[in-house]
Amino acid sequence: MASITNEGQSPTSQAELLYQAQLRKERVFRTHVGISWGVLFLILIFLFSGQDIKIGDFTIVQTINIDTEFMLKNITFIAGGLGQTLLISVLSILFAIMMALLAALGRLSKFPPIYALSTFYVSLIRGTPLYLQIFFFFLALPQLGIVLSGIVSGVLALGLNYGAYMSETFRAGLSSVGKGQREAAMALGMTPGQTMRRIVLPQALRFAIPPMGNDFISMTKDSALVSATGFVHELMWRATKVGRSQFNSLEALIMAAVFYWTLTLILTYFQGKLEARLSKGDR
Amino acid sequence: MPSSPIVKISNLDKYFGRLHVLKNVSLEVPERQVVCLIGRSGSGKSTLLRCINFLEEPSRGSIEVDGVHVDAEGKGKQQRQLIHDVRLKTGMVFQEFNLFPHMSVLDNVIEGPVTVKGMDRRQAIELAEQNLDSVGMFFKKDEYPMRLSGGQKQRVAIARALTMEPRVMLFDEPTSALDPELIGEVLNVMKKVALEGMTMIVVTHEMGFAREVADRVVVMADGELIEDATPENLFKDPKDARTKALIDRYRSGEG
Repeated sequence: MASITNEGQSPTSQAELLYQAQLRKERVFRTHVGISWGVLFLILIFLFSGQDIKIGDFTIVQTINIDTEFMLKNITFIAGGLGQTLLISVLSILFAIMMALLAALGRLSKFPPIYALSTFYVSLIRGTPLYLQIFFFFLALPQLGIVLSGIVSGVLALGLNYGAYMSETFRAGLSSVGKGQREAAMALGMTPGQTMRRIVLPQALRFAIPPMGNDFISMTKDSALVSATGFVHELMWRATKVGRSQFNSLEALIMAAVFYWTLTLILTYFQGKLEARLSKGDR
Repeated sequence: MPSSPIVKISNLDKYFGRLHVLKNVSLEVPERQVVCLIGRSGSGKSTLLRCINFLEEPSRGSIEVDGVHVDAEGKGKQQRQLIHDVRLKTGMVFQEFNLFPHMSVLDNVIEGPVTVKGMDRRQAIELAEQNLDSVGMFFKKDEYPMRLSGGQKQRVAIARALTMEPRVMLFDEPTSALDPELIGEVLNVMKKVALEGMTMIVVTHEMGFAREVADRVVVMADGELIEDATPENLFKDPKDARTKALIDRYRSGEG
């Protein structure tokens, strides 16, 4: 009896110790990475601090001098583009999700024309630059008498573009749902539509949500391309406008970069939370 | 007066491409009978079971369940309706359980009645809870399937099938994916379902279960029914050499 309890206990506590050692190692590593980030960040700020470091009269390092007065004066104007950037991103991602779902279902279709339509769409979109697609909607369509506003062109192009890429994620999600799931639903008497809605799609979406989060984050940055139409006053458009007119592009672009980066960090944080919650759920 | 069979399989043929997996199979099962289908893997027993609710489409012949007659060669909307009717009369339990992982145990069990039959949710829950209780899984009703053992999953799967109130239960190797120590709890639940008078067709390798619970054992080999007898007769005096080999192998495994 005694030996059994001993055997039962010692490997558990040993495993526990190993696990804790592992955790400690990871924690130390993360702390060091955090400190290094801080240092890199300080260096970056220092680079733009406009200082001269001299020994006697001899300048050894001269850091970049930026016009902080310009920045303070224009920060609200540039920040005013955040709303548009987010609006374009949200509308485009919703459109992209719809397109991706249709394309993914088409890709799984056994009916050749539908399968072809889906692969044709994905191939055409992936084979041409996003920049071209935005201009196609904005500049080429008017020649055919279809005039779209900058924002509509942007959302159409971004949505179609991301939809094509995301369809691959959705397809993987749909095929991750085993055949047994469909059979169980069919055996209960569900119609193919009910099986798709109640059983397959919820599982496929759960699988596809983390990569969709990544796509949304890239979307917020690719939305900057829409500024090229000149009619959507989002972050990038505002930064280039004030930067060019006052010959302060350096400062203007730095501000825009800080906004994009901060936005990305915030979204990545929520994305991480979401992912952690989903993985706790059922895998 | 002999009651008419509740399941009637007539002259069923099934091909996978050029592979002839069911060869003119006919089988009648009267109400309340428990039939075990045994045979080596590849004998066609699972395919036959899956043809009953059209998870496999038979190539020729017909299936009749509780008066619903479906011809293998039927087509179109009417055929789909008939298959749907047959599926409502049959409950199926799979080797791999196939519980819906995104739903709690209770939601798994009420999914069929609510979505397919349009049953009132409260009524479905009441029925589901009764059935979960009878398979001993009521205490896990709010858990998700991934938190259950294999035996518990299979018991929930049985409750899910029963909650559709089928006339016939089909079991496709219900214990083959289970760890040995979990087989007993599932077989006990199946025995209970049998004692409550359910008609059951069970594809299994569990000879002990066949001997103890089945009213009748049907042996398949190479896509044909080679023997059909009561368990006593079959185990005492197998007619076909292939049946004998099957039983000998089971006996040696037992000893």
